Amino acid sequence: MRCDPSVKVGALTLKNPVLTASGTFGYGLEFEPYFDISALGAICTKGLSLLPRIGNAPPRICETASGMLNAIGLANIGVEAFCTDKLPSLRERNVTVVANIFATSIEDFAALARRLDREQGIAAIEVNISCPNVDKGGLEFGVDPQMAAAVTSAVKKVTKLPVWVKLSPEAGRIAVIARACEEAGADALCAINTIRGLAIDVQTWKPRLSNRTGGLSGPALKPIAIRMVWEVAKAVKVPVIGIGGVTCAEDAIEFMLAGATAVQVGSANFRDPLAAHKIAQGIVDYCERRAIDPRELIGKALL
Amino acid sequence: MEPMHCGKPRPRQVVVPLLRRDSIGASHHVLTFDCEQPLEAAPGQFAMVRGAQWGESPFLPRPMSILTAGRRPSILVKVVGEGTRRLASSEPGELFTVHAPLGVGWAPCPEDRVPVLVAGGVGVCPLVFLARGLTEQGRRAIALYGGRSAGDLPLDDELAEVTDLRIATEDGSLGQLGRVTVLLESAIEETKGRLKVYACGPRAMMARVVEMCRAADAPCEVSLETIMGCGYGVCLGCAVPKVGGGYLYACSEGPCVDGHAIAWES
Ligand SMILES: Cc1cc2nc3c(=O)[nH]c(=O)nc-3n(C[C@H](O)[C@H](O)[C@H](O)COP(=O)(O)OP(=O)(O)OC[C@H]3O[C@@H](n4cnc5c(N)ncnc54)[C@H](O)[C@@H]3O)c2cc1C
Ligand SMILES: Cc1cc2nc3c(=O)[nH]c(=O)nc-3n(C[C@H](O)[C@H](O)[C@H](O)COP(=O)(O)O)c2cc1C
Ligand code: FES
Repeated sequence: MRCDPSVKVGALTLKNPVLTASGTFGYGLEFEPYFDISALGAICTKGLSLLPRIGNAPPRICETASGMLNAIGLANIGVEAFCTDKLPSLRERNVTVVANIFATSIEDFAALARRLDREQGIAAIEVNISCPNVDKGGLEFGVDPQMAAAVTSAVKKVTKLPVWVKLSPEAGRIAVIARACEEAGADALCAINTIRGLAIDVQTWKPRLSNRTGGLSGPALKPIAIRMVWEVAKAVKVPVIGIGGVTCAEDAIEFMLAGATAVQVGSANFRDPLAAHKIAQGIVDYCERRAIDPRELIGKALL
Repeated sequence: MEPMHCGKPRPRQVVVPLLRRDSIGASHHVLTFDCEQPLEAAPGQFAMVRGAQWGESPFLPRPMSILTAGRRPSILVKVVGEGTRRLASSEPGELFTVHAPLGVGWAPCPEDRVPVLVAGGVGVCPLVFLARGLTEQGRRAIALYGGRSAGDLPLDDELAEVTDLRIATEDGSLGQLGRVTVLLESAIEETKGRLKVYACGPRAMMARVVEMCRAADAPCEVSLETIMGCGYGVCLGCAVPKVGGGYLYACSEGPCVDGHAIAWES
């Protein structure tokens, strides 16, 4: 049987349940030599801020068991350059683009959303209230339900695009934040961003990253992410997008069984530019063997 | 069709078997892979390499300079940690993912300058590739190769075949006693400053070489060896501070860059 891999995230229909995670896929065009990225469910851009940011001093990344720490510091070209230099090419190629945004104040979050709302070719806005690697404005929005709701409604107010909120695993009770965002109008919730970790060089007695702490990503994060997706999915009615350590189709299916409507592939892109493409194909193969559609997997393990 | 890569070979990731591993002493190993489709690469470009059977740890591929391209591409590995240890202990037939060619290779040497290659340790790799290319163009480079002792100079014979090779060791076990920078001093004199330096080696060595070239008003390219996550411009993990502020990305703007553009002191 041929399956229909499409899934619906609110009003938005995605070709398949595989997206690429912000900060692990550049602005998408870097993948041009490898495959047709318009075949993906969507791509999430590197986190965009109002002004360009140069990012943190090196070293910015280091490897840890089954994963890595990063403290990039949200280096990005800024929303304006994204709209003029990158978006037209993405639009031309019919790519489903989710613009990931980051700011240090509620006003700036709203300004970013207002700017993106003027553009054609953006499918949704993903609001990052969970970056652990900047001095200011990263986590405080993500760990306090009132702040999370305030950001969500401020963004909702200025755009007609679907608004997805990317949750932090550092929130004590992620379901509480998720519910606050849902009530404030979030169209979908993405879980999770990285968890702060620390690695120390035993030769030099110094942290391995210049920022000292960094966000843990990769397979090491996966069981925590699946537990959190499961908690969020039980707490809200809006779709949940699972993120954390997806490297193969089975990982993605696990997230869907835990309640995710779709998944984002992050660090796995670093070791294989075709990772997301292969995972999407793997889900189709799995579903065809069982004569089901991928959307029938969603939440099947939610007891 | 591909505006971003026209004229440049497209990078690809392939799964290929190791054909052979040749050990040079205890800590250096040349790994040769068997590729159905020849790997096209320019001197100075690199590959991201990972064992297909490594499981989840080490998680990331490792950047390695391309030593030779073609049907049987090869790399030179020096063991420094877990990833390189695994590479160095692999056996023929084992499968690897090889993502190549990546990055920007060496820029051409102006006709009126003598190419002078300055190598330290495994930094020799992209320079052997460069020297072979220069030889094909009918040019002969001077190569300056330094290490702590005679055992730290892998591929010195290969370099000698295609360059006018001069060696320095810190313990005096081979060539001149001292650092490679001593050799550079005489090369600058010998060429009366009409040289272009290509350097790859430890950071401190490259910083000193760039400083000497600045004093001699000579162009100097370096190949950067930073930690890399992806190798193709999408993680932003390979930032290197630039003169005048900001960062350049070693994998996509390099690894071969103008040495004078790097803020070495930071
Ligand atoms: C463009 C490029 C070309 C390179 N070419 C070669 C080559 O031809 N042959 C070769 O043997 N090595 C080369 N390297 C260095 C090589 O990539 C590292 O030695 C390797 O990634 C270390 O992995 P590991 O798991 O063994 O060490 P880890 O356990 O990860 O680290 C061990 C030590 O090595 C340092 N280190 C880690 N990654 C790098 C890195 N990318 N560059 C420098 N130091 C690092 C760490 O800080 C640590 O001190 C190159 C690096 C780059 C960026
Ligand atoms: C190098 C790097 C950069 C990242 N940058 C961003 C970012 O700019 N915005 C964001 O919301 N998440 C960012 N993330 C988090 C990822 O989108 C994802 O949530 C996280 O890595 C977990 O997924 P993974 O285990 O599949 O990598 C980044 C992750 C990595 C590894
Ligand atoms: S190594 Fe990922 S951007 Fe350079």
